[in-house]
Amino acid sequence: MTKGTAVIEGLYYSKAHEWAKVEGDIVMVGITDYAQNSLHEITFVEISDVGTSLKADEECGLVESMKASSDLFTPLAGEIVEVNEALEDAPELVNEDPYGKGWMWKIKPSNLEGDLKALLDAKGYSEYTASL
Amino acid sequence: MNDKLRRPQLLEWHKAHGDVVPFAGWEMPLRYTDIREEHLAVRNAVGIFDTSHMYRFFIRGPQAAQFLQTVTTNNVNKLKVNGGHYTTCLNEQGGIRDDLTLYRIAEREYIWITNASNGPKITQHLLKEAANFEVEVEDKTSEITMVAVQGPKALSLLCKLAGTDVSEFPRFSCNLIKLAGHDCYMCRTGYTGEAGAEILLLNTPLNDEGTSKAVAFWEELLNQGAEYGVKPCGLGSRDSTRLEAGFVLYGHELKEDITPIEARIRYAVKFKVEPHYIGYDVLKKQKEEGVEKTRIGLVMIDRGVPRQHYNVLFNSNKIGYISSGGISPILKKGIGLAFVTPGMVNEGDTVEIDIKGRLRKARVSGWPFFDPERYGEKRTK
Repeated sequence: MTKGTAVIEGLYYSKAHEWAKVEGDIVMVGITDYAQNSLHEITFVEISDVGTSLKADEECGLVESMKASSDLFTPLAGEIVEVNEALEDAPELVNEDPYGKGWMWKIKPSNLEGDLKALLDAKGYSEYTASL
Repeated sequence: MNDKLRRPQLLEWHKAHGDVVPFAGWEMPLRYTDIREEHLAVRNAVGIFDTSHMYRFFIRGPQAAQFLQTVTTNNVNKLKVNGGHYTTCLNEQGGIRDDLTLYRIAEREYIWITNASNGPKITQHLLKEAANFEVEVEDKTSEITMVAVQGPKALSLLCKLAGTDVSEFPRFSCNLIKLAGHDCYMCRTGYTGEAGAEILLLNTPLNDEGTSKAVAFWEELLNQGAEYGVKPCGLGSRDSTRLEAGFVLYGHELKEDITPIEARIRYAVKFKVEPHYIGYDVLKKQKEEGVEKTRIGLVMIDRGVPRQHYNVLFNSNKIGYISSGGISPILKKGIGLAFVTPGMVNEGDTVEIDIKGRLRKARVSGWPFFDPERYGEKRTK
């Protein structure tokens, strides 16, 4: 597989290169392999506090790489219920394992069905990144 | 904007080994593997950079020194043959057109090395001003490959390539020598805070022969440098090393509306010079009456990374803005340079940086940001 093209079946994807994984009534969010590969060395991750209520596509944090700062956007509306504290000391986990240990935040969605419809599936996201 | 990008002689090598991006009108390598690894190679071993995008003017003639003194702020008459210095070129308001290194290579001949982004502007300026003097300005940018060799092992590598001890050449000197059989000027300068040199590889025009000579030299640096842990380094680590050293960058700390006194590169400015350079009177006035903005360094106390244009606050009042920021791989902290109102803060004071609406604490610091006893040209450990 080409570097930076890994996608996982069963996840939902945004065109802002975030992924969302539905786990019961909570959704886990991170950035995609394509995103981490484009950013390269991730040096810092900051996510809005637990308890923050967000609209879909609202800015909710930032990722710093050696070269630039990029905003994070939530693909789903809801309330942040947990952030990945491990990234504070080890932001490189996002590069190493973007769909696993590099997850970023968990959200209690307020419009799950509606927001998911606006996202891409694995195939749709692969086609989208291939077109970039 | 010219949409046709200029190509360094080493372009195909860069494309085969790294990520090439458009930069200041050129196609240049951003990174080969990892910006942090390249950065640490420069601090701990030796890194090599293709800097062929910098413009290289050869300026010669009976009035060369006089001409250069009218367009640059350091004391040209103090330059001895084989000497060099860092200097600036100003506009009439004292703002910085460009910063440059100037070397004297013969009684009446100098090399002017200047930023890629300002090359076209400086070409126009020099040709216009030179019309009043018996002087010739030749742009040899495309004739010469330029490579920076930087790091604590840089001089060991260069001695090996020269077959003689070149480590005794003083800082800012410029000497015509042979390295691995190639004629070059070795300039004892750099932009990383480390020991090393910038090499002008002569007779390497942008054709097949010039390209193969440039690639042969580059590969010789890598082969001979293997024992020292050499790495090819791109623009990413060029920027991160210069920031960690506290060096200024055009478009960030240096602009047409910033003077060298405001940018705190006072060593590039002399007042006992004849004739007076363009912008002299404004600088003289600032020297006597003070400035309205001044450059400071910042090290993050809180987590976070400063970036250009972020506001800097002290006691909840805006006192300035970040001009450059990033993360220091040595400190593992965010660092930045900023312009603030003079007299508001001193070294050691705590300020706040508005990072996209989140206020984060930082300490006012001098530079370099690394411990100079452990890293950099003057290291003792």
